Amino acid sequence: MTSTINLEGKTLSSTIAKLNAPLTQAFDPRLLNESPIAITPTPTHNTQTQRLADFETLTAALEYAAVGTAGYNFYDARGNLRSVLPYQALRQNARNSAQRLLSIGLTSGDRVAIIADTTPEFVELFFACRFAGLIPFAMPVPVNLGSHAVYVQQLRGMLEAGQASAAVANVDYINFLEEAAEGSQQLRWVGTPEQLGKFPVPDVALPPNHPDEIAYLQFTSGSTRVPRGVIITERALMSNLQGIVRHGLEIHAGDRCASWLPFYHDMGLVGMVMAPMVAQVSVDYLATRDFAIRPLQWLRLISRNRATVAFSQPFGLKLCTLRVRDSDLEDLDLSSWRAAGVGAEMIRPDTLRNFAEKFAPAGFDARAFLPCYGLAESTLAVTFSQVGQGFQSLRVDAGTLVDRKMAIRLQADGRKYSEFVNCGRALPEHTVKVVDDAGQLLPDLRVGSVLVQGSSIMTGYFNNPEDTRKTLQPGNWLDTGDLGFLFDGDLYVTGRRTDVIIVNGRNIRAQDIEELAEQQPEVRTREASAFGITDANDATTIVLVIECRLTSVTDRQSLTSRLQRLVYMAFGVNCLVELVPPHTLPRTSSGKLSRFAARQGFIQRTNLTDQLSAESGDI
Amino acid sequence: MASDYNDVLQKLCHHLKQFTGPDAEITPETDLINQLAIDSVKLLNLIMEIEDEFDISVPINALADVQTVHELATLIHQIRTANK
Repeated sequence: MTSTINLEGKTLSSTIAKLNAPLTQAFDPRLLNESPIAITPTPTHNTQTQRLADFETLTAALEYAAVGTAGYNFYDARGNLRSVLPYQALRQNARNSAQRLLSIGLTSGDRVAIIADTTPEFVELFFACRFAGLIPFAMPVPVNLGSHAVYVQQLRGMLEAGQASAAVANVDYINFLEEAAEGSQQLRWVGTPEQLGKFPVPDVALPPNHPDEIAYLQFTSGSTRVPRGVIITERALMSNLQGIVRHGLEIHAGDRCASWLPFYHDMGLVGMVMAPMVAQVSVDYLATRDFAIRPLQWLRLISRNRATVAFSQPFGLKLCTLRVRDSDLEDLDLSSWRAAGVGAEMIRPDTLRNFAEKFAPAGFDARAFLPCYGLAESTLAVTFSQVGQGFQSLRVDAGTLVDRKMAIRLQADGRKYSEFVNCGRALPEHTVKVVDDAGQLLPDLRVGSVLVQGSSIMTGYFNNPEDTRKTLQPGNWLDTGDLGFLFDGDLYVTGRRTDVIIVNGRNIRAQDIEELAEQQPEVRTREASAFGITDANDATTIVLVIECRLTSVTDRQSLTSRLQRLVYMAFGVNCLVELVPPHTLPRTSSGKLSRFAARQGFIQRTNLTDQLSAESGDI
Repeated sequence: MASDYNDVLQKLCHHLKQFTGPDAEITPETDLINQLAIDSVKLLNLIMEIEDEFDISVPINALADVQTVHELATLIHQIRTANK
């Protein structure tokens, strides 16, 4: 902690101040002693010549950024600046921590698991790992009521799948981590950043990284049993970052970022931690939890610091639209915001329209919308639309889309349509194609599986050749699991294949829910099917259909409420449980359950057809 | 102390009414997940209201051990006591 300005020394979430004091009441005497010194964020205008991600490795990029004045700034729930971490201090602190990590016996290529709260300590440790030649991976923070046991199980799964040699969490989460680490043969050290900081800094050399070495692992989805760690090399990372800052965002002098995205998601970590740094741009952070409770604080940050680039999932934009009061708009000036990136889940045009309408009086320019598409298996970004052009969309006939998997542009009014957002075209050195079930290339406007090839594709899933083989097809084509079509070179994503359900912006694997059900004594293997249904208001509900032999009402009720509780604790969402007689669920010729057919059956039984939005999210 | 807790419990139940019908009874044993069906979005609203009402900050890690109304009231009570 040599030169980090850190007012509290502890973590943000443990020290979040009283939230209900409006900013105008900042002289509340109780609050005064909490912020005794006025600190200033790192400047927007840098002193050094801007270089746009033309570095071979992440640490080489940090060495360069450390010469300038830009850096990371961390704000609390009330919008007060809590810590400032200039890239210069980050470099120094990370190098010191790197030497400490090596002094506890870790060697090049070992994995280090870090619970990723939005703190300077996380960023320092992440870069420390790279300086030491170690492979970091970020783990999530717990977010659900009553999720203690499930969260610990999730951490344990990641520690095992990533074969971590060391694991770090701040004081808020260390007890969960220690519980998860119990009995581990692999882990050599578990502790807090403060404990690590007490080790002496030995004088060991930190050799430069090689472009072919692994930069980090990225765990995908909130999977409970089999988390998968995406392997990203330095070369893939730098290729993607260059695509993002040069082609996607057209970063230039005067840009500044503001972000609430979690550091354990690829969009938060790659998009809003690494991408700004490799272009020597400053960033202002708000913890995800603080954004979720008071989304206005994110917009205030953008307004106050004149941010130009800020990303969100559609769900985050929805939260802003729903929860910000009209009376709050007067103090906001969002006119500096030139790139409002939207991605990480399917984008509904209405989400963008509602946001634009709500915030136009605050100076928000709808031309700032920048829809993009990507996934952790391709580092982060695959396609970007044209910056500064706003979002474009296509209305297609809903019936033809579902029945014939064809996107036919709407000719006449009055017919039921589906509208899809243009996600733009692939970054340089990347190709997107759409294929049918047999793997045959499809022409424009035909819906099929979206495949990607290019320089930022993952090497595979860590220690998981089976899933790697399934996902990386011959010719190194990555099967994204998404469905969509191409039109004039632009990608339109129409849905997810049925193995993933997206609720409130979170990816939930259907298999994980089914496995949770199958762990109950009353449920047999292959007798549970989970899928999502989306209503006309775009709200997705998880449905779990169980073949059930129980006859007593009490037993059935007990199973239903237990399943709902388990799903809630694991994923933070409510689910609808339907108990059906044995042999109700449709199976394929090989005896596998078909989630698509199960969903169709459910819709028929419940007469929901008309209330659901037309989607091609099934094959 | 006990009266403080009862005060918290009473105010909390008032906020929880929004998740139930007006006639439903909320007791300390009421399960937030099963009986009140509080999903993650409702939870955010509830936390904001609690923080405003009680002038506290609820650390997110503490919620992992909360399932019933009693547990939530106890947590709020503890945070308030620690702040005084």
